[in-house]
Amino acid sequence: MTEVKEKKLVDIKKEADGIKCQVRQALYLIEEFLAGPMCGKCFPCEMGTFESKIRLVNLISGQGSEADLTALRKIASEMAETSRCKKGKDTSGYMLEWLQSDEFAEHVARHCSAGECTSLHQYRVIPDKCTNCAKCQEVCKDNAVIGEKNIAYKSGDVPFSINQSRCTRCGECIKVCPAAAIEVISLRVLTSDEIKV
Amino acid sequence: MSKMAKVTIDGKEVKVPDGTNLVDAAQEAGVHIPNLCYIKGMKGVGACRLCLVEVEGGRGHSIACNTRVKDGMVVRTDTDEIKESRKFVIDMILSMHPLDCMTCTKAGVCQLQKYAYDMEVKESTFTRKKFGYPTDEANPFIKRDPEYCIICGRCVRVCEEQGTNVLDFMGRGVGAKVVTENDKPLQDSQCTFCGSCVDACPVNALLEADRWRKGREWEYEAVKSACTLCGNGCEITAYSKDGQVVKVRSGADEGSVRKYICAIGRFGFDSLASDTRLTSPMIKDKGKMKDVTWDEALELAAKKLKAAGKNAGLITNAAITTEDAVAAAMLAKDGLKSQNYESTVSLYCTADIISRSQAADLDAADLVVLVGLDTSQHSRILPALDAAVRKSLKRKTKLVVVNSKDTGMDEVADVKLGGPEAASLKSLAKACIDAGMKADKKLQDALKDAKASDEAAAAAELFSKSDNPVVIAAPSLFDAAQNLSLIKGAAVAAGFEANAKGVAGAGLSGKGGTAADIAGANLKALLVVGEQPSAIKPKTDFLIAVASHKSAITKAADIVLPAAVTLETSGSIVDYLGNVVKLNASVAPPEGVKTVKDILSGIGKALGKDIKASASDIKKAATSGKASALPFEQVKGLESSPEKVNSGTCSSVLETTRMLWLKEKPAQIAAAK
Repeated sequence: MTEVKEKKLVDIKKEADGIKCQVRQALYLIEEFLAGPMCGKCFPCEMGTFESKIRLVNLISGQGSEADLTALRKIASEMAETSRCKKGKDTSGYMLEWLQSDEFAEHVARHCSAGECTSLHQYRVIPDKCTNCAKCQEVCKDNAVIGEKNIAYKSGDVPFSINQSRCTRCGECIKVCPAAAIEVISLRVLTSDEIKV
Repeated sequence: MSKMAKVTIDGKEVKVPDGTNLVDAAQEAGVHIPNLCYIKGMKGVGACRLCLVEVEGGRGHSIACNTRVKDGMVVRTDTDEIKESRKFVIDMILSMHPLDCMTCTKAGVCQLQKYAYDMEVKESTFTRKKFGYPTDEANPFIKRDPEYCIICGRCVRVCEEQGTNVLDFMGRGVGAKVVTENDKPLQDSQCTFCGSCVDACPVNALLEADRWRKGREWEYEAVKSACTLCGNGCEITAYSKDGQVVKVRSGADEGSVRKYICAIGRFGFDSLASDTRLTSPMIKDKGKMKDVTWDEALELAAKKLKAAGKNAGLITNAAITTEDAVAAAMLAKDGLKSQNYESTVSLYCTADIISRSQAADLDAADLVVLVGLDTSQHSRILPALDAAVRKSLKRKTKLVVVNSKDTGMDEVADVKLGGPEAASLKSLAKACIDAGMKADKKLQDALKDAKASDEAAAAAELFSKSDNPVVIAAPSLFDAAQNLSLIKGAAVAAGFEANAKGVAGAGLSGKGGTAADIAGANLKALLVVGEQPSAIKPKTDFLIAVASHKSAITKAADIVLPAAVTLETSGSIVDYLGNVVKLNASVAPPEGVKTVKDILSGIGKALGKDIKASASDIKKAATSGKASALPFEQVKGLESSPEKVNSGTCSSVLETTRMLWLKEKPAQIAAAK
């Protein structure tokens, strides 16, 4: 049986720094911490990080609220004060650092400035720019593109649009669109009715 | 005398011994520092972080449970910062805890509930978490409900400290669960159902299995008493409601190594209402037992005893109180004017030997020498002593085992002296003298030609380094063992019954031979008090049995006088360490049943004698004799064992409801071997 070496907290932090979205950075750190270095010997750290994970997932999935931010700040500050060992104190230290950025409040408003949180934006076809070439439909593995390819002599094609319930925001369609007709819209600017579509 | 330290806690000054734990010191000053994972007497682990305090001159906050006080220490436990942190922890715990204070059995004595109240945490501000772990309630003793567990670890540490090591954590962090090996139910593990974990749990995760809807904690009346079902005489707290005993917990002080009560003592109160309970005086009429009044029964008993004159006999067990024993001795000496009176102590010890058993403090002991005893928590042979010694070892006490056979303690002993015990003790005493320790001249002379083995020399080194050695010996080896107390420390003769010292000290020892001799001597009339071991086989013309439950003896008796059990009796006993332990009756005996003392004085009255024990009689029973140089020989004729004695004297408890379950489970039977 090969022994899986437990990751060190500093290494996890380094890996986290490679992620653009600050909220995702925090979630990565917490998840790796829970899976590895966390010793589980003191309540503030073991319970605090578990709770933090739930709150961060809320933020990333678009269900976040101001209460989540308050909870995260409280947990991080208490963990820094009362943790039993350096690992807990360091983890909460990183958390406090990240919590200072505006990105957390932006996520509450349903906007991920790094563009990594796929639940916080939608892809939409700009009707004026779309040439109905159907290249996006060809590459879409989730069958999320609705529309009929333009055929020379035919008229009345179904215009292209994206089925939001199937779209996973993988970004392949944007890569192939020759007309730059697919835009990324943050949920922040959409009304609740528009989000449902 | 240990050095005292003056400590200031929240402005209150208090003087405590230097090195006292800060949580305990604060308690002395009237300041309660919240804690959920601290166990008094054990090193703090700092898991819950509730006890964080500010120590002047220190860096940041320190955990009080792991801080020892020093003279001049100034501590603050009530800063706003600390209060916020505590609130945070309680809030977090509540988010994982079932919110049913309304019907929870622990309501009123739950630490979590108390702290939530103190810190005004009405509901949790964090997300609700539920793990859905199943309960373990297949056994009739202890119910485990992991949903309530706050992962404080007290149960795991308590079980580990006493050497049973049944519980451990599975998993890390919030989803962790306290389990037995391979997550099996308790009865498939090495659990002895002693319930130390139940006493340690601050919430409703571990509790007695029969408590659901049996009343609220604040409806219970608690009294302190002692269990008399074996030689340990453990202190208990007995709880009753509406005249019924509902719960028994360990009553020794928190932090004492003696804080323990085995499954029999804890759950044996079922026997108070068992089917075999005797509830009416009876007289044998033409081969059949007939219910009669107390007056009739006592009259007849007195008549027969008087008629027997010097040929009357009286035997008791040693689970009765000292007051009962003094009354019995008075009845025999003044009432019957017979020499045929004795207690079951005579089966394993002489009155002389046990009178010289010295007072000892196991909590203060830093070296324990066990002579000729094979204690076991699994087989319930002096289990509290087994647990106490194992706990002491974790608190830096040393252990020397002197036994010709292999014992369960060998694996944890620092030195084991095998071979004939008396010879080992002689060798040990000689090694002590060789090591330069001073001793009685008579003893030194007696050891002139003795030789010390290497093991004995190792044991002697421990002896010389210790300040408070305690030698606990089987009665037949006490004379040899107490020689060591002439060098240093105390020596105890461990009687096999709870009040051996008190009963013998009450003078319940005549010139009629052992209790077994008197029982089989074909006397004209014999009065037997209490349940008896199998060695007692009464052969008499007229048998009067004073007993609480039906037995072979009551079946053969001509008069049966129903007696109260220990939980229904007030009085005192002298435990094996020489402490006088006060017994307070938890409930009244059932209608028609009298206490042993009342029965004996009733017989006395019918004989025209006033049988009443005086305070000085009781006090005399507790005095311990002096040590003197005695030959290193095992006393003959005292071959009985704790199992043989106790299986008889507490058969009414062992054969009752829940206790029978212990005999049926394979894991229990295997563990007891």
